[in-house]
Amino acid sequence: MGLVVNGILIVHHETNSVHHSFFHFISHSKTFEKIINPIQMELAIQNVSKKYKKNKYGLKDFSLTIEKGILGLLGPNGAGKSTLLKMIATINKPTEGVICLNKNNIVKDPDYMRQQLGFLPQDFGVYPNLNAIEFLSYIAAMKGVGGLGLKQKINRLLEGLNLNDVAQKPIGSYSGGMKQRIGIAQVLLNDPKVVIFDEPTVGLDPEERVQFRNLISDLANDCVVILSSHIVSDIDSIADKVAVMKDGGLMAYHNPDELIALVNGMVYETMISKEELPEFKSNHLVVSTSRKGAQIAVRYITRNGNQPTHRKKANLEDAYLYLTKKHRA
Amino acid sequence: MKHFTILIKYDFVKRIRSYTFLITLCASLAIAYTFVPAPGACYSTISISDYVGEYNSAWLGYVSAMMSSILLSLMGFYLVNGEIQKDKSTRVGQIMAATQIRNSKYLFAKVISNFLLLLTILGIIFSMNIALFFMYGHDYSFELVHFIKPYLVLTVPAIFFIAVLSLVFEVVFGKYTILQNVVFFFCFTSLLVYKPKTELGFALDVFGDKIVANHLEEKVSILNGSDQQERLNIGYTINKGNANKKFTFSGFNFPTSFLVSRILWVCLGFVLILGITPLFHRFNIQAAPANDKKLKNSLESKFSKGNITLNNLPTIKPNFGILPLVKMELLMLLRKGKRWLWSVNILGMGALCFLPMDIAHKIVLPILWFLQVHRLSDLMTKDKAHDVHYLSSSSKSPIKRLLNAQLIAAIILLSVLSSPLVIRQILILNNVLAAVSILLGSVFLVLLSALMGLVSKGKKLFELTFFLMTYANINAISFLDYFGGLKIGISQSLTIIALCSVILPLVYIMRNWNLKRS
Repeated sequence: MGLVVNGILIVHHETNSVHHSFFHFISHSKTFEKIINPIQMELAIQNVSKKYKKNKYGLKDFSLTIEKGILGLLGPNGAGKSTLLKMIATINKPTEGVICLNKNNIVKDPDYMRQQLGFLPQDFGVYPNLNAIEFLSYIAAMKGVGGLGLKQKINRLLEGLNLNDVAQKPIGSYSGGMKQRIGIAQVLLNDPKVVIFDEPTVGLDPEERVQFRNLISDLANDCVVILSSHIVSDIDSIADKVAVMKDGGLMAYHNPDELIALVNGMVYETMISKEELPEFKSNHLVVSTSRKGAQIAVRYITRNGNQPTHRKKANLEDAYLYLTKKHRA
Repeated sequence: MKHFTILIKYDFVKRIRSYTFLITLCASLAIAYTFVPAPGACYSTISISDYVGEYNSAWLGYVSAMMSSILLSLMGFYLVNGEIQKDKSTRVGQIMAATQIRNSKYLFAKVISNFLLLLTILGIIFSMNIALFFMYGHDYSFELVHFIKPYLVLTVPAIFFIAVLSLVFEVVFGKYTILQNVVFFFCFTSLLVYKPKTELGFALDVFGDKIVANHLEEKVSILNGSDQQERLNIGYTINKGNANKKFTFSGFNFPTSFLVSRILWVCLGFVLILGITPLFHRFNIQAAPANDKKLKNSLESKFSKGNITLNNLPTIKPNFGILPLVKMELLMLLRKGKRWLWSVNILGMGALCFLPMDIAHKIVLPILWFLQVHRLSDLMTKDKAHDVHYLSSSSKSPIKRLLNAQLIAAIILLSVLSSPLVIRQILILNNVLAAVSILLGSVFLVLLSALMGLVSKGKKLFELTFFLMTYANINAISFLDYFGGLKIGISQSLTIIALCSVILPLVYIMRNWNLKRS
């Protein structure tokens, strides 16, 4: 079921979040142009820099256009990932450049982004003396959502995250994984259109990570999802596009297959002794090592195709390491 | 021993690099500057009847040492308190707990680090007072011994004991910070009003100033030819001009029993630390969910057993009103601290209903409000302390909505607590102005807590200020009467309104500034 208003299709499902956009339209008719188009979502980061001190940049001349789907953000510590995410989440402002969501400059109008943002920060914390329902009600109040459906929504989220049994207990008594689930619940409270997850799988066990990845895939049908993680496998399996950052700049922006193609035919594995390892490491870009009896199996990347060793099938982790430590290959 | 020294060294270094230390140091210097009033100043700090001492080395040395002893005992407690909690929140405590370090060694290292911190401040105050001597005491020769002796005998043992006491309170009362504050408040005020006359009595005075005070009182009584001993006034007293008479004070020889008592206070400190060692939790304070069946089940079941279908989630509506936020902020204020502490608040409200109006307004109200210090002190900093600040920073209109909600909720809390008194003032005494003064007082207190939290980015500055204000209120010092307890009138109300009008914009500016730098 759909409704076309001034060329923008507003899909009216009975329960989904686009319905909310329609209410938003009705109540904010003056800002009609700013209504989120459920078909097209575009987050444009244009020449953004964040300068801290003289010649010290967290981010430098960074440009990227993100559309609906999942963007995986990879980079070593200090690459500028968190700086970028905080600017998209309107917590920080760029020193230069603009960030536009559906052509609205969110640096000037942060509330436009905030109304449709779901953010799970890396250092997500809770108020320990509130219970889950109270904490989510508090976040809902901060986000500016309410109505009769709120209580029901909180209950459904807690049920879906298997926290309904402990919903009345103070969050201070929860385990790390349970707190992380509260973090996921708060992201979904306001039917977000832009979702930012900064290291979201910290505290989740492997089984929970799989479930979480499914949830993100579900979200990506309707939203821009930005997922920053050090765990390449988290991104590998679900990201539509991957951005690799280093030293405040963008090293690469492709889909995972295109990134992997960059190192195709360059990944090898060899067996060496423990004594040879330090010298080997200094001469090659080593991806990983594993013990195999007295020997060590070393996976490495090299541009020199003349290797007397086994060639291996490249993966995203190889591509990521190659891009961030290219000079050593 | 080497490891012990390193432990102390880096604990000390960590603390002197903190923002709180810098603020306390500046505040101490500013206050220390006022210990010895400039010649012709309109106030006095220590006077006996209408006498003050000539500005020689002995007077400046003893007066500043006595004032430092009291001030640093008060400020020092708040400055060094909470160090174990800090190790817990930074998770350094857990690393420490996994090492070979003994509990007693850890606690001693903390005490010595506490002491060194206070000693650093004392050293700066001491230097400042010597500088003040050269500014004020032109007619007298400089005698270093008159500066060193009182500091060494009075102040150093006092601050050592405070360094111990803050740790003892933290170990014994644990997370009940409000109890630490309240118990210290009563200990401190009791010691201040304690008036010993015997050698044993002087020995029991941890600040050590009573023996010097007694000597000064006797000296002035002789000068006055009075049979009755004159009383020494310690604290800030406004004079009319420079009406005080002068007398010469040439120092004081401490009796041996008193000197021994000072050493015994230090020894008692060490014994206390050894005594509390078995009570120290060694950071084994994780909540035990295993006892809770539901919590245990949830831990085991994980969220993979649940199922979120995004399309089936109910629709929500935008609600940018401030009311839900005020409600939640109020709930958080009410939830803070242990539930049984509310019985104390209810008793306080009962006292406001039934005690004579004078006592209820002048004494019970400031104490009842002071009991909320843990609720007010982190009003602006709790989101950062609990790592919720990224969510609040990225919420819609955080200044207009969240900040206002926080302020309104805290004002509601204080107003409700004082409501029995407000109702009595209006209904029984028909004194609307007094009721307005009380309500304005609650607004002022909340704004002050917000401003101090934002400026210091912590709780301690407000805790300390609030303590001083409450102490002054109970002792009927009208200068710090912010709720009309001593003087009700239009001018008092207008002064508070003016102060609020200055503080409120500052709160908005500071919050905005902090948000931009979060």
